[in-house]
Amino acid sequence: MVNPILLILVPLAAAFFIPILAMVWKNGSRYVALLVGLFNAIVSIALLPVVMTKPIHVTIAGFKAPIGIDLLAGPLGMVFAVIISVTGFLVLIYSFDYISDKSQSRYYTLFLLLLTGSLGMVLTNDIFNLFVFFEILCISSYILVAYNRDEHGLEAAIKYLILGSVGSVLFLLAISIVYLKLGTLNMADIADKIEGLTGSAKLMVVVLLLSGLGVEAAIFPLNSWLPDAHSSAPSSISALLSGFVIEVALIVLMKLIYSVMGALQVLEIVSVIAVVTLLVGEFSAFRQGNIKRILAYSSIGQIGLILFALSLNSRAGISAGVLQVINHAASKSILFLVSGYFILRTGSYEYKDYGGIAKKMPVSSLLFTFAALSLVGVPPFLGFFSKIQIIVAAANSGSTLLVSLIVGILIGTIIEGVYFLKVVQVLYFGNSESVSPVASEVREAPFSAVLPIVLMGLVVVVGFLFLPQFNSVTGSVATEIVRKLSLASLF
Amino acid sequence: MNSLVTVENIVYLASFGLILIGLFIVFSDKNLLKIVIGIDIAETGVNILLVATGYIHGKTAPIFSKLGLKASQMVDPVPQALVLTSIVIGFGVTALALALVVRLYQKTGSLDVSNIRGLKW
Amino acid sequence: MRRVISLVLILGFGFYLVTVIGKIAFPSSGEQKGSVGVAIVNNAAEQTGAANAVTSVVVLYRGFDTLGEVTVLFLAALGLSLLMRGERFIAAKIFDESFILKTGSFLLFPFITLFGLYIIVHGHLTPGGGFPGGVIIATGFFIVIMTSDIVRLRENLVSLLEGLAGLTFIGLGIVGLFGTKGSFLANFMGKGVFNTLLSAGIIPFIYAAIGVKVGSELTGAVGSMFLSPYGREENE
Repeated sequence: MVNPILLILVPLAAAFFIPILAMVWKNGSRYVALLVGLFNAIVSIALLPVVMTKPIHVTIAGFKAPIGIDLLAGPLGMVFAVIISVTGFLVLIYSFDYISDKSQSRYYTLFLLLLTGSLGMVLTNDIFNLFVFFEILCISSYILVAYNRDEHGLEAAIKYLILGSVGSVLFLLAISIVYLKLGTLNMADIADKIEGLTGSAKLMVVVLLLSGLGVEAAIFPLNSWLPDAHSSAPSSISALLSGFVIEVALIVLMKLIYSVMGALQVLEIVSVIAVVTLLVGEFSAFRQGNIKRILAYSSIGQIGLILFALSLNSRAGISAGVLQVINHAASKSILFLVSGYFILRTGSYEYKDYGGIAKKMPVSSLLFTFAALSLVGVPPFLGFFSKIQIIVAAANSGSTLLVSLIVGILIGTIIEGVYFLKVVQVLYFGNSESVSPVASEVREAPFSAVLPIVLMGLVVVVGFLFLPQFNSVTGSVATEIVRKLSLASLF
Repeated sequence: MNSLVTVENIVYLASFGLILIGLFIVFSDKNLLKIVIGIDIAETGVNILLVATGYIHGKTAPIFSKLGLKASQMVDPVPQALVLTSIVIGFGVTALALALVVRLYQKTGSLDVSNIRGLKW
Repeated sequence: MRRVISLVLILGFGFYLVTVIGKIAFPSSGEQKGSVGVAIVNNAAEQTGAANAVTSVVVLYRGFDTLGEVTVLFLAALGLSLLMRGERFIAAKIFDESFILKTGSFLLFPFITLFGLYIIVHGHLTPGGGFPGGVIIATGFFIVIMTSDIVRLRENLVSLLEGLAGLTFIGLGIVGLFGTKGSFLANFMGKGVFNTLLSAGIIPFIYAAIGVKVGSELTGAVGSMFLSPYGREENE
């Protein structure tokens, strides 16, 4: 049985190794990154059934928790490790041809460090360790947003950095308060001792955590960085950022609220904020013409939906939320990756210039359509099932507030459907003459791009056949989140 | 605690002051460089607070420098290790921010934040 | 207007902060804290053999955090080189520094480096360790880069040192993982005689690796910022 710590260490070691390799073999970094991605994908999938029965608890440096740091690879950690590793691997395949400039060794290093940061965040059991990996994740995404070094990228990166740093300050403040009062940094130990943190102090810690992680998780009103950042980054990176980075921050936040702090009283307000986030995101997407900005605002909307599902305080709600995360990771990645080649082939960011492109890029357009329909929630795509589960869980919750918020979700879904259909309509039935002059080069994306898009498309299209398996997996995650952590249960 | 002017209170109040000043600069100032400095100030404030959580009244540094110095006479070493990490992380972020500001200035010729602040709905 | 709103919000937050932390902070001072750190410091001397308890926390008990921190530095240097590298790397100086500055920096350089090495190597005995030591060594390099007109910065050497040092850190940890102790970063070397240079197992080696990494990274980072064509208005 492989030690889960390798999931974090192998990308990290490869990231240290790539700059050395790049000195002798210029293009070698993509092969190393690809191999690492494959390793992570295989190991995480292989470990998944193992942790469903009993979580793996890894002690680091030989000192047992809470004296030392430990990793807890349970259903939550492993499911997200699979999402991160598989998405990362597929986007690495896409990047093989998409990234061809001379700084590519830096791109791959940053990519691997992004993976390391995300994997560390979901697997760790120590709150300061969480902060360190959170910073690794944040900093690699700040740099990757500015990767193209154009004016928009730099502006987006500095805005993201400023907001993210404020978030880090608040997060660190929360850690200080926890250590001051409870004297420990281990999440399971904190959960055991949480009675020692009285009402107002606990509320302050939860608010600080919400704000600190909320910046990265793109909760309203802390998400003003997202539209610029996700649209200015290279498309492969946008796929990662929207696909799992914001969701990782969100799920870790929820894990802290539910199983570490047990602060269930904030969940009502959180669900309202979630629906506000959803509506703000969807309404703003409606007014955009730049395809990547549409997708970025749509991510905000989807995060609102996922947050709503996660705030329902019921096993059904949380497992529906995790299913929605899986759906969003696959669909949004497809959308961003396809857009990458739309932009490259036509030279334009505005979707009105993509008229009739479906004739020249049939596979890309078809998968774009499937992914968009899945996000909106049209059957038989995976998104339909996740959305229905969320709505049913909210309806069953018995709280009038939650039932009324369903209206907000439905409005958001309608708006989503409208703007995605506008784009799809242009792709298939738009005026071909409006495709910009670079159009003579318009041909289908290369195999390295089509392969990952098709593989992710399979998840979205035929995923419903495996719905029972998905549900049992997401159900285990939900059970883990809802149950309070305890130190004794780990040994 | 009888007196308000003790070592711990002063340190806590100073760290709060720094955090608040730093956050105020970040939210209200228009010059990008000043905002980066504001982030740095706020981070310093949090680091001071974090170190201060380890203080135990009347104890000394956690280094066995003298013969016969017992562990029970030492302050808590863990916050010091945490702050070491946090300072380095803060340095990394500040260095990166400054590089972005330099490049942005080179491209746009201005350090005014009004162009990038605010949501472009 | 924005200033007024910010001021009000910040003051409100500050008031809230003071009242909340005031209630929990004041009672806990003056008595023995029941915290993890106290448990650590009680056992640190026998368990790790290092005289400096903070070092044993940084390298062993919380070594994973230190690995992350080293990664953050790596990221910062990477980001700086990505952003600040232009088409050509300036090796010539713009200003002509004074003779005193140039000679003085050359004369100081060996002493600064020696001091930095001392701090790194004695990390487990006195305050300091890899991070401050690395910074001091890097400072020695800075003043030479910034004032001299005959020394050039070799990018490749810096990256090589950086990468090798990082891999050494992970390598030492992996030996613990696959070796006898069975967990990453376990202390697999003997503890040696307390309070001497060769004690505390792998701590001196890890700190040495960290010192090299920090020194080379900071040198590279300042080098890319200072020698880049983008910071100069006199150039393009």
